[in-house]
Amino acid sequence: MKIEGTQTLHAPRDRVWALLNDPHALASCTPGLQELRPVGPEEFEAVLSIGIAAVRGTYKGRLRITERTPPERYAVQVEGSSSAGFVRAQGVLELEDHGPETEVRWSGDVQVGGALTIGSRMIPGIARMLASQFFQCLERKLQEAS
Amino acid sequence: MREPTRTVHLEVNGRPYTLTLPVRKTLADVLREDLHLTGTHVGCEQGVCGACTVWLDGEPVRSCLLLAVQADGHSVTTVEALGTVESLHPVQQAFWDNHGLQCGFCTPGILMTVVAFLRENPQPSREEIREALAGHLCRCTGYHNIVRAVEDAAHRLVSRT
Amino acid sequence: MKPPVFQYHDPTSVEEALELLADHAPEAKVLAGGQSLLPLLNLRLARPSRLVDINRLDALDYLVEDGGWLRVGARVRQRRVERDAGVRRFVPLLAEAIRYVGHPQIRNRGTVCGSLAHADPAAELPAVAVALGALMVARNRFGLREIPAEEFFTGPLSSALQPDELLVEARFPRSPTGWGWAFLEVSNRHGDYALCAVAAGVRVEADSVREARLAYAGVGPVPVRLREAELALVQEERLEEALRAVAEEARRGLHPEGDIHASSAFRRHLAAVLTVRAARLAWERARAGGHHA
Repeated sequence: MKIEGTQTLHAPRDRVWALLNDPHALASCTPGLQELRPVGPEEFEAVLSIGIAAVRGTYKGRLRITERTPPERYAVQVEGSSSAGFVRAQGVLELEDHGPETEVRWSGDVQVGGALTIGSRMIPGIARMLASQFFQCLERKLQEAS
Repeated sequence: MREPTRTVHLEVNGRPYTLTLPVRKTLADVLREDLHLTGTHVGCEQGVCGACTVWLDGEPVRSCLLLAVQADGHSVTTVEALGTVESLHPVQQAFWDNHGLQCGFCTPGILMTVVAFLRENPQPSREEIREALAGHLCRCTGYHNIVRAVEDAAHRLVSRT
Repeated sequence: MKPPVFQYHDPTSVEEALELLADHAPEAKVLAGGQSLLPLLNLRLARPSRLVDINRLDALDYLVEDGGWLRVGARVRQRRVERDAGVRRFVPLLAEAIRYVGHPQIRNRGTVCGSLAHADPAAELPAVAVALGALMVARNRFGLREIPAEEFFTGPLSSALQPDELLVEARFPRSPTGWGWAFLEVSNRHGDYALCAVAAGVRVEADSVREARLAYAGVGPVPVRLREAELALVQEERLEEALRAVAEEARRGLHPEGDIHASSAFRRHLAAVLTVRAARLAWERARAGGHHA
């Protein structure tokens, strides 16, 4: 499943880039993130607890940054599983410089397996909802800091 | 967690039962495993295939989507109550005569739906029959003969009265 | 046994149910008709530690016309609404749409409020609620609040309902005179979730559309009301031009996701075609005095 979106953040690109590379900011803005532990130079172990309606799951997995081109682009690979199934995703974030603003274009390719596939028609919408929560949080941090 | 249980009173095919059951057990499993009424079949267990259809207080429901404890104090009717081997229900006879069953797995659920459907709509159109059957999957894909069997059953029931 | 272990409560008073929810939220889940929750339990996708079964709450088993509203209590099953002659007159859109919800075997158990609280973006009743401007009445142990349908649905399977709240009632406004309504859907088989469904309403005067409502299921993360398309119906005097304009707006305004059942382009195409058919049908019904054939 391919999902993409764009989001405008009200801060210059260098500041957005810095925030997107700050593990503390990422950890506090990622919906449901409970743990984020570095296990290598570009690799993290994560525990995520996500509940959509009655479907609540704790996902354990790995996040690897596969490409990093400051200050405009990075790519990540995510793999996680819970009792409900597994999720694999490749994602790309691109930052476009608009002076005082930055346009973030995000795209992902998501694969799910196990019982989760039953709900696969909802996954793009759920991903979009979580992404929007994530960016709203980043925006708040950018405004607080300025 | 310890398995929570509850004692319930069910009336199944006219007979009263008192059972102590795990609260998470579905009605379909209780019918099959505790009451040995294995005519009710269990297919998808998520409400899609219709094989487990029984009547709750006379109305068709999915017995896989009902906890047995929820049927406490209610009456349940299964395919075993429709007819006997010696004397089939007219709808069962129509399925037999029209080759409306192949492997037979989906048949008990379909029978429970069709008998209730013809009670409410004794002279349905072919379109209405197809809509009534939409909640059932036949993986032998024997739908043509199933529709014919329902049409035939409707005629038999109407001419009988 | 398929479902995971849980504690089971079947309170007989609303107050008791609300206390249970307050004490155990968010690990407690409400069990109404169970036609969406039981599959999730059987698949073990949902593992609530407690279920609060509201099927013994007789106080919520009411379906009444009250002033300009149809009030549907949380215990009312879809089948009852479908069979009620009063609902067909009072809220014809609801009566028409409810026949598309699952199958009779599902509707014999499923409740109207349960379907709304579950907030499946491809489900029929949320789209009807949004089209009509229905009110969701939520209650916790401290009191009641009313949530307009458009604010209620916040994402796939997500609503404004808090974990300690019970959706005790859905309130649908009476169809005013001069309006006609239509609900159309395409799904893979009758009773499946909508690939696309349209709820349409128009008020017609001298053959022209004066007001319109359009809401969609299956083409967004929540039921979508399309105001631009409503406007397009009103702005053109002649019906055929209005229908051409509304199809264009539906194609422009909707951005459905594609999945294994239907591509995004196909869903958008369905939306445009169904919009035209539903708007035309609603127009004919409005001219016939709001009566459905």
